[in-house]
Amino acid sequence: MTSLRRSIRPEQIRELILILVIVALLLFFGTQISDYFGARTFTRISTSIAILAVVAVGETLVFLTRNYDLSVGSIVGFTAFFVGTQLQFYHGIPPLAAVLMAVGIGAMMGAFNGLLVAYGRVPAIIVTLGTMAIYRSALVEYPGNKIVQISALPAWVQDFSSANVLEVGTFELRLIVAIALAVVIIAQLMLMYLPYGRRLYAIGSNPEAARVAGFPSQRIVFIAFILSGALAGLAGFMFLGRFGNLTVVAAMGTELQAVAAVVVGGTSTLGGSGTALGSLLGATLIGVLDQSLRRWPLISEFWRDAMLGILILLAVAGDRAIVDRLRTIWARSELQLGAANSALPQEDNIHGS
Amino acid sequence: MTTPILELRHISKRFDMTQALDDVSLSLYPGEIHALVGENGAGKSTLIKVVTGVYQPDRGEIVLNGRPVHVRNSQDAQALGIAAIHQEPMVFPDLNVAENIFISHRDRGAIVRWRQMYEDAAAILAKLDVKMDVRVPARGLTLAAQQTVEIAKAISLDVRVLIMDEPTASLSAHEVSQLFRLVATLRDQGVAVLFIGHRLEEVLSIADRVTVLRDGKLISSRPRAEVTIEQVIRDMVGRRVEEFFAKSAVERGELLMSVRGLTKERVFSDISFDVYRGEVLGFAGLVGSRRTDVGLALFGVEPADSGRILLEGREVQIRSSQQALQLGIAYVTEDRRQYGLSMPLSIAANITLPTLSRYLGALGLVRTNAENTDAEEFRQRLSIRADSVRVEVARLSGGNQQKVVLSKWLNTRPQLLILDEPTRGIDVRTKAEVHHMISELTAQGLGIILISSDLPEIMAMSDRILVMREGRMMGLFSRNEATQESIMTAAMGRENTVAERQR
Repeated sequence: MTSLRRSIRPEQIRELILILVIVALLLFFGTQISDYFGARTFTRISTSIAILAVVAVGETLVFLTRNYDLSVGSIVGFTAFFVGTQLQFYHGIPPLAAVLMAVGIGAMMGAFNGLLVAYGRVPAIIVTLGTMAIYRSALVEYPGNKIVQISALPAWVQDFSSANVLEVGTFELRLIVAIALAVVIIAQLMLMYLPYGRRLYAIGSNPEAARVAGFPSQRIVFIAFILSGALAGLAGFMFLGRFGNLTVVAAMGTELQAVAAVVVGGTSTLGGSGTALGSLLGATLIGVLDQSLRRWPLISEFWRDAMLGILILLAVAGDRAIVDRLRTIWARSELQLGAANSALPQEDNIHGS
Repeated sequence: MTTPILELRHISKRFDMTQALDDVSLSLYPGEIHALVGENGAGKSTLIKVVTGVYQPDRGEIVLNGRPVHVRNSQDAQALGIAAIHQEPMVFPDLNVAENIFISHRDRGAIVRWRQMYEDAAAILAKLDVKMDVRVPARGLTLAAQQTVEIAKAISLDVRVLIMDEPTASLSAHEVSQLFRLVATLRDQGVAVLFIGHRLEEVLSIADRVTVLRDGKLISSRPRAEVTIEQVIRDMVGRRVEEFFAKSAVERGELLMSVRGLTKERVFSDISFDVYRGEVLGFAGLVGSRRTDVGLALFGVEPADSGRILLEGREVQIRSSQQALQLGIAYVTEDRRQYGLSMPLSIAANITLPTLSRYLGALGLVRTNAENTDAEEFRQRLSIRADSVRVEVARLSGGNQQKVVLSKWLNTRPQLLILDEPTRGIDVRTKAEVHHMISELTAQGLGIILISSDLPEIMAMSDRILVMREGRMMGLFSRNEATQESIMTAAMGRENTVAERQR
């Protein structure tokens, strides 16, 4: 039982359930929407997931430390708008510089959040709620055109959104989807194998213990916010590439989607547990629902926001009802293990109850 | 003993009005267990925080290996080979045992090698003679096991000075003996151990040297062989303590509560006992014996599945704590911070919380005057040390907080009072006051169930002692039959000692 408990954790069961739900949804919508299983649907859904997944991965890092970043939507919007405006004025900006500009601005905005949260000790929910409004206003007040138009952008931006890295038959793996997958994989490896990643878990798991453990927890939280901002900046660039035409409400509400993806993906709202892969699954579920509901005539488009709310509530409530119950069962099996060992008094209280 | 590894020289530290430490000098030697004792507020915690870099001393210096050092934060302390283990283990519940051991290491490369880490963790635990699965998350471990993880972590960091701040406060006697074995192993490996504890017998059983602090001053520092427990207590309180504690004899009154075959599936089974007025029924057992769960069942928080409860001969069903309160049952919790008190509220507000309906005036508003009058009565009766009942509970010491919890439940005018570890983590003087209070309450005709891990306490305070082990009743001893040995053996599950079993 110990080995079973070790090899399958309740969290992994949750990821499995998530995959099953996604498959079930795809099958369901396949019966409802004509021409659902096709290359077009795949491209549409995968590109919409890509942007969300990148933001959600950054949000995951912050969530692990028992913090929140509600400003990501505004960062995505601001970087997309800012870089778009610059590109409209200066067609000569090289693509790499544009990407770096987006990532750098995002990182700076994240750093401001992180500074206040980690060193200023202001609760993250307050800080990022404030900066969500501030960054959005900065976008609105940004001097220049109040609109970015795809026709005024350099040609490579338009090519960027439809560039493929892989084509199998009519199925296309878009460049931005590949970027998102790379981000997820790199983040997942970082969380598993880098001391920095492990310490993110440690901080969220027990902030007080992290303070006395002798590693720089303030800096680790600070960097988590920078990374979240930087990834939101990258997502901002992807957003510009995908849509091209932007107004001041660009990417509004992305923070809600990101939080939903993270929470649905199994990251604890109390920090300390969660994975980048889980958040990708969460983003996938949201992307599938979002894109499919647009084409499903039975449901009004305005229900899509409510759907996000319902998903968040379901995920958290499901955690309480199912995953916690599983944890109890797991713990119980451990208890029985302890009882079986009671003939050996040296061992019975080393294993927990 | 050759040269000290860590010397504190003339350390002083002041907070606003209180001189927390006043010219304290202390030497720790390698291979020595140095016990630090004193009442709450004596300055033990401040001293630890100075050594571990949480506080900077106002005056004085810290000398490590003959070299003055500055400890500015816990990272510095760790780099200098100083580690602290606290009452509540500082583990990361979501990380597994091996990760917890190595999380602070900086010399393990840029990439986490899991397999290597598991092997190293297992090797360290083996060196400590501990069997533990290094891959399970720390969340499921007992407090004792979590402390073991912390000790393993300290060892992996090559600590030379290990500070243990009341590590036994939440452990059962059996776990304490295991911990002490570990500490002795560390001492034999040349570690200097500074051990802080409240249970004196326990502390003295392991210490090589005993230092007493009182009101921020160093009172005495002597080798263990030269001190007696009475001397230490005298040094701590500054006056002779005639009676540590003992319940005064109260004549057993009429039958108050009978419990028969109380069972909660997978938690406890077939628990039967009687409680009489004027009696203290002690619940003894190791951690995991499920004593608290029986208490929670009687208070209706986690109701039992089956079994009968008779209150004054009438069969009752207790399905919620409101019901229990109406029946005159009150439960003083083990964990005051989590369940017992609302820290930002005043003493008065805390005391009247469960009985607020009594204080409502016209329009359903709370009559603060009545509230304050009642609270003031308790403040005097239990000598709660606070300027007024309007003071926030958060600003009281642990012992005084415990008195507020007690007042709160006494204000419900219970007939049966369940006390769950009422003196855990509070100083000797307050402890004696709580014991005196228990005595007084029984004289008033209350029946008391006392759950405690402190064996001498339970032996001194109880008229009868019920011993549990893993949810089962192992025996019921009357006061004169009970010895520490007989209770311990029952609690650890040897068959032959099951004495006078009821029913």
